[in-house]
Amino acid sequence: MILLPCPWCGPRNVAEFGYVGEAGPRPDPASAGPEEWRGYLYGRANPCGWVAESWYHRMGCRRYISVERHTLSNEVRPLATEGAGR
Amino acid sequence: MPTRPRPRRYPARYSAFSLLRHGLAGDHLVPAWRDRELKNSYDVVIIGGGVHGLATAYYLAANHGITDVAVLDKGYVGSGGSGRNTAILRSNYLTPEGVRFYDRSVRLYERLAADLNYNVMFSQRGHLTLAHNDSSLRTMRWRAEVNKLEGVDSEVVGPAEIKKLVPYLDVSAAVRYPILGALYHPPGGIIRHDAVVWGYARGASGYGVHIHQNTEVTGIDVAGGPNGRRVRGVRTDRGDIAASTVINCTAGWSTLVAEMAGVRLPIQTFPLQAAVTEPVRPFLDAVVVSGSLHVYVSQTDRGELVFGASVDPFAGYSMRGSLEFVEGLAGHVLELMPSLAKVRLLRQWAGLCDMTPDFSPIMGRTPVDGFLVDVGWGTYGFKAGPVSGEAMADCVATGRTPDIIAPFGVERFAEGRLLGEKGAAAVGH
Amino acid sequence: MSMRLGPQPGEVLDRTRPFTFTWNGREVPAYQGDTIASALAAAGVRVFSRSLKYHRPRGLLTASFHDPGCIVQVDDEPNVRGAHRLARPGMRVRSQNTWPSLNFDVKAINQLAGRFLSAGFYYKTFIRPRWLWPTYERVLRRFANGGEVPPEAAGDYYDKRYAHPEVLVAGGGPAGMAAALAAADAGASVLLVEEEHQLGGHLCWGDEADLAALRGLSERVAAAPGIEVLCDSAVLGRYEGNWIAVVQRTVPGVAERLVKVRAGTLVVASGLIERPYVFAGNDIPGVMLSTAVRRLINLYAVKPGERAVVLTGNGDGDAAVADLKRAGVTVAHIADARLGDDIVRAHGRGRLRSVELPDGRRVDCDLLVTATGWTAPAALLTMAGDRPVYDPRAARYFPDPARLPEDVLAAGGIAGDGSLDELLAHADAVGAEAARRATGAGDGPVPIPTLPVDAHPALFRGRTHGIVDFCEDVSSTDLVQAVEEGYRSVELVKRYTTVTMGPTQGKLEAVNAVAIVAEATGRSIGETGTTTWRPPYVPVTLGALAGRVFEPVRYSPMQPWHEAHGATPLVAGAWIRPDHYGDPHAEARTVRGDVGIIDVTPIGKLDLRGPDVPKLLNLLYVNKWSKLDVGRVRYGVMCADDGVVLDDGVTGHLGPDHYLMSTTSSGAATVWEWVENWLQTQHPDWQVHVTPLTTAYASMNVAGPRSRELLERVTEGVDLAGEAFPYMNVRTGRVCGVDDCVLWRIGFTGELSYELHIPAAYGLHVWETLMERGHDLGIAPFGVEAQRILRLEKGHLIVGQDTDGLTRGFSAGLDWAIKLDKDDFVGKPELAWQQEAGEYPRLVGLQPLDGSVVPEEACQIVDPPRRADRRPRIVGRVTSSRMSPILGRSICLAQVDAHLAAPGTQVTVRLPDGRHIPARVTDHLAHFDPTGDRLRV
Repeated sequence: MILLPCPWCGPRNVAEFGYVGEAGPRPDPASAGPEEWRGYLYGRANPCGWVAESWYHRMGCRRYISVERHTLSNEVRPLATEGAGR
Repeated sequence: MPTRPRPRRYPARYSAFSLLRHGLAGDHLVPAWRDRELKNSYDVVIIGGGVHGLATAYYLAANHGITDVAVLDKGYVGSGGSGRNTAILRSNYLTPEGVRFYDRSVRLYERLAADLNYNVMFSQRGHLTLAHNDSSLRTMRWRAEVNKLEGVDSEVVGPAEIKKLVPYLDVSAAVRYPILGALYHPPGGIIRHDAVVWGYARGASGYGVHIHQNTEVTGIDVAGGPNGRRVRGVRTDRGDIAASTVINCTAGWSTLVAEMAGVRLPIQTFPLQAAVTEPVRPFLDAVVVSGSLHVYVSQTDRGELVFGASVDPFAGYSMRGSLEFVEGLAGHVLELMPSLAKVRLLRQWAGLCDMTPDFSPIMGRTPVDGFLVDVGWGTYGFKAGPVSGEAMADCVATGRTPDIIAPFGVERFAEGRLLGEKGAAAVGH
Repeated sequence: MSMRLGPQPGEVLDRTRPFTFTWNGREVPAYQGDTIASALAAAGVRVFSRSLKYHRPRGLLTASFHDPGCIVQVDDEPNVRGAHRLARPGMRVRSQNTWPSLNFDVKAINQLAGRFLSAGFYYKTFIRPRWLWPTYERVLRRFANGGEVPPEAAGDYYDKRYAHPEVLVAGGGPAGMAAALAAADAGASVLLVEEEHQLGGHLCWGDEADLAALRGLSERVAAAPGIEVLCDSAVLGRYEGNWIAVVQRTVPGVAERLVKVRAGTLVVASGLIERPYVFAGNDIPGVMLSTAVRRLINLYAVKPGERAVVLTGNGDGDAAVADLKRAGVTVAHIADARLGDDIVRAHGRGRLRSVELPDGRRVDCDLLVTATGWTAPAALLTMAGDRPVYDPRAARYFPDPARLPEDVLAAGGIAGDGSLDELLAHADAVGAEAARRATGAGDGPVPIPTLPVDAHPALFRGRTHGIVDFCEDVSSTDLVQAVEEGYRSVELVKRYTTVTMGPTQGKLEAVNAVAIVAEATGRSIGETGTTTWRPPYVPVTLGALAGRVFEPVRYSPMQPWHEAHGATPLVAGAWIRPDHYGDPHAEARTVRGDVGIIDVTPIGKLDLRGPDVPKLLNLLYVNKWSKLDVGRVRYGVMCADDGVVLDDGVTGHLGPDHYLMSTTSSGAATVWEWVENWLQTQHPDWQVHVTPLTTAYASMNVAGPRSRELLERVTEGVDLAGEAFPYMNVRTGRVCGVDDCVLWRIGFTGELSYELHIPAAYGLHVWETLMERGHDLGIAPFGVEAQRILRLEKGHLIVGQDTDGLTRGFSAGLDWAIKLDKDDFVGKPELAWQQEAGEYPRLVGLQPLDGSVVPEEACQIVDPPRRADRRPRIVGRVTSSRMSPILGRSICLAQVDAHLAAPGTQVTVRLPDGRHIPARVTDHLAHFDPTGDRLRV
């Protein structure tokens, strides 16, 4: 079971977290066309390698946190900026 | 459809008689498929030697006479999802498009042993999807109604009939997840998944298709022009291959392969785990699925219980498996069948599932001319092997997208026309 | 004939405690400490089972946990490892896979057919005719191996435990003990796990010097303060982050316990597993490994035979010769593989008769002992990323230290050879280094000596073909055939022949299989590779993995009342709530006529505070929230950014910067996380604080024309008069003497009604008081079923039932609520495009023309085909349906295609029995009181 580095609680079992996934900004709803908007809804980089992603510490501090995870090895490292990005 | 070309004398025909002859004479066996030299050009290159890729190659040759075809796999045939799934077949989907498609697949599977002269051991033992609450019972009825309208044998049954079909199930009301009813689908069942792969490989090879194992695609050549992009071939770790048609039939790596051609797919890859127990005397006929408990169970002819679940809780490419998976799985199995507590889990493994936003595949042409995809198979790819191969072969041979896969085009996401299979497929085995 | 020897120096038997158990109905004597197999062997039993395919008789092979020959049924437990499980008084042991009996087995006819039952047999036969396959299959299933599962649960107790040792040592042989001692000496907490019933590994069946060394190590381990020892326990797997699963079988009263270990460092000291030799007749009872013989003699005082031939390639074979002689077994012939000696085949049926030597001689014997080398059980190491490397000189695999992560080390025989002292010194260093890596103490890495690697003859398959996988009955001929047929990768051979796929999972047979495939393909063993080790290392019961059942349920504070009043429970997610109290139609009529009360505690409740709450509501709901005065309540619908309806509920403005949001019961957790997500990740600058209050309040809805009259009797501080507290308003006050209650005047049922949120501890008191005070008003409780009838009469949708995973806002009848003129809200672009496109399905009210027919929910609405050979086209579906007690007719909500949505349109509903019935789209979603007069009184 991998450990996620929660900036508020310390390393915790991944089972305590809800997976949110790849971080990507929400386009401006006023100007986004269907293609851009649906890219935001459905598009994922899905890399085999490091990816910045969000998790929700459901059974802990209940904060959304961001980490970098290697999707093949499941190594995890903290992301420089916390709390930003969805 | 053009007339079927005759397969050549090779491979040898299988029958009890030929086995007997071999047993007595002790002569050498004929290989099921041949090793061939890698050519530098093929009409069609298929990436991925699983059931989808091999079936596509087989039907290209058998139905359309297109035999200058190479199937490339970075490992051995069937080393990906085709050899890692839990080998359950069914067609009781939710949307008419899905039901039609998988029904065609089941029908092809029914005659596959005869078509391929290879016993794939399709065992139509019946398939039960349990409903533990009224909303899932409603979904079961929805599926049953759509199924019946599409001519698929499917019916909602009550606890008494469920107990008759699966005596080891606890159908009493005094459990945490009472069984209110089930969707019963008699044509569903299990199959020997490896045999399907080998049967198609043998059949395709018999028509002259080249199967290149341990051949990894490292790039896709695409020529760009003012009138759009066009595929020219693939690069592999064993050399470049020119081809005017390249089909991505991979699972787990489909977005990485598509990226090589500059095609972005709305897919996220998740591990899916499964497990098998030691053999015990057969006691379970039907395939039993519980969506609420995220588990499905079947028993092979060897006596092993095969378990599967929904995909892992987070995306990735790791196939190492987890302890939490088997813990949760065991708990849920025992909720359904408490008397299995002393049965031992023998082995767990994982495969990779390419999940699309609407739990339906992505099939057909892409913005790159000549580059086709047969991907996004989530947890239901094996079920669709034959029909996908048949339809993709049609697509290549005729240049038109067959009606049966028309709903699965990649453009549906940008157009906001998602399919409604999600409700049925969340733990759809 | 008893084969029991006199007392042996290292025996594990307590001869003062004899008892009996039964074997296939026959009484067998045993001593405390005997395994099932040792007791049977001592009683002269030589055949324990029949093989999978050919039903050949099988005896002891390894006399250890992994012995494939003596897997037995014990009482209601299938597949018990007879050579490991301790015999217990009275246990009923039966052989498996032996119909009709162990000694006369008609399935043995398969042996004659063996020449045709080759690799891939099933794939090549039973192909035609297709309709016969199910019959063939039924016969095949009869031949399935394995024990019997009882139909009823035995109710054994299973448990789990967490452990956090700094060092976990897998394997309690000399190396494991030394590593544990060194780690403990260095200050680390240590968990030492041993598969056998006692520590010591091969020292246990060794000579005097070995036993002396064992005594020394055991005393030190027992005295060391930091070491916890688990015997009869197995390390099942090593997962990411050194998360390690151990099954412990020795906890009193617990069938098996799963210990989940987060270890600082894992030391793998699993020792080596002796490899069988492949030759003709290698599965005849009486052919055993050297370790089996040594275990039988030294641990269990069992004479393994009378007259032996020994094939030895190493010191353990030599030691077995010494043990045999000491036990009084005649050693008729020794073939020393180091000198080029070999054996050709074994003869005998049911029991060994003779062994054929290369020069053609036959040596009569009833025991053939082979010592042909070792398999490194590298499972735990490979799970940690190792790829073992084949060393041809030693004829075995070794771990590749470069591939091991920092937190995994190997010690003992798996890492190399050497004298006991050399192995102990190596393990000592590994243990100290493991402690250093786990604790960070000490001054730099501990130097780990390199163990020598002894040369060993490469003995896999001899001059004849024999069984490779004893569980699966796979022979070397099968493997060669598979290669000939093109299945050249070792993984394909495995799948085609099922070699290594049985209960031993390759521990005995994998290296032989690889060597035979290498030979057949003309590749080296190194080039051929290995099959993958997958967890668990040894099979583990589902009971142990599941542990105790923790499936929590939630009850409202009023549950005791419901139970006492005959409520039929409804499972709704985590909640158990009353479905009805006997007659849902009567309950619904009470609400329409007098007053009813329903427990709605599961409704999600979020307390929202802060100046930016209106901004939040405007963002998350499709409707407008800027102008909601204090004391007002509004219904709101949330969509996701794909425009799909997510949840609905009402939110009330309780006071300055203070709101209470309600959600659907099933959406309570989701919406809370949804709100937090938008606040935390998109608008961290907004000042909103969210507190979930779902279970802090007991919630109940008092509904019906007389509800006001009832509440006036028990409410203080709130003017309930219609004009003072109108529809869609909220007040706080005292109810039944309880302060801080929230009263919402809303109407899911379509009646004058008040939803009360009572501090949870007083919920039952308020409920009982209302029941008592409302008695003369005709109050009755109503359950979820009556509420569903009432809301359907009123045409109120249920998210997730009348909508599905693709239903966007305009398809849910929410045109009136969706405010596209707001700057932004979640889902706005998709909803704007939906409206623009126009051709979307609609939610409509629907009534069958024949009001006595209630089409079941999920019935399809079809466009009947004009031609009989065409299938009807689906144009909609009934999402909700009930018989309405107040209207005396069936009523529905339905999703229909746009062209059918106009009121008055007649559609065709297909019933589950195939009948088609006509139904009419109604003017409103509401079938009853569409103008809402009853709500506003």
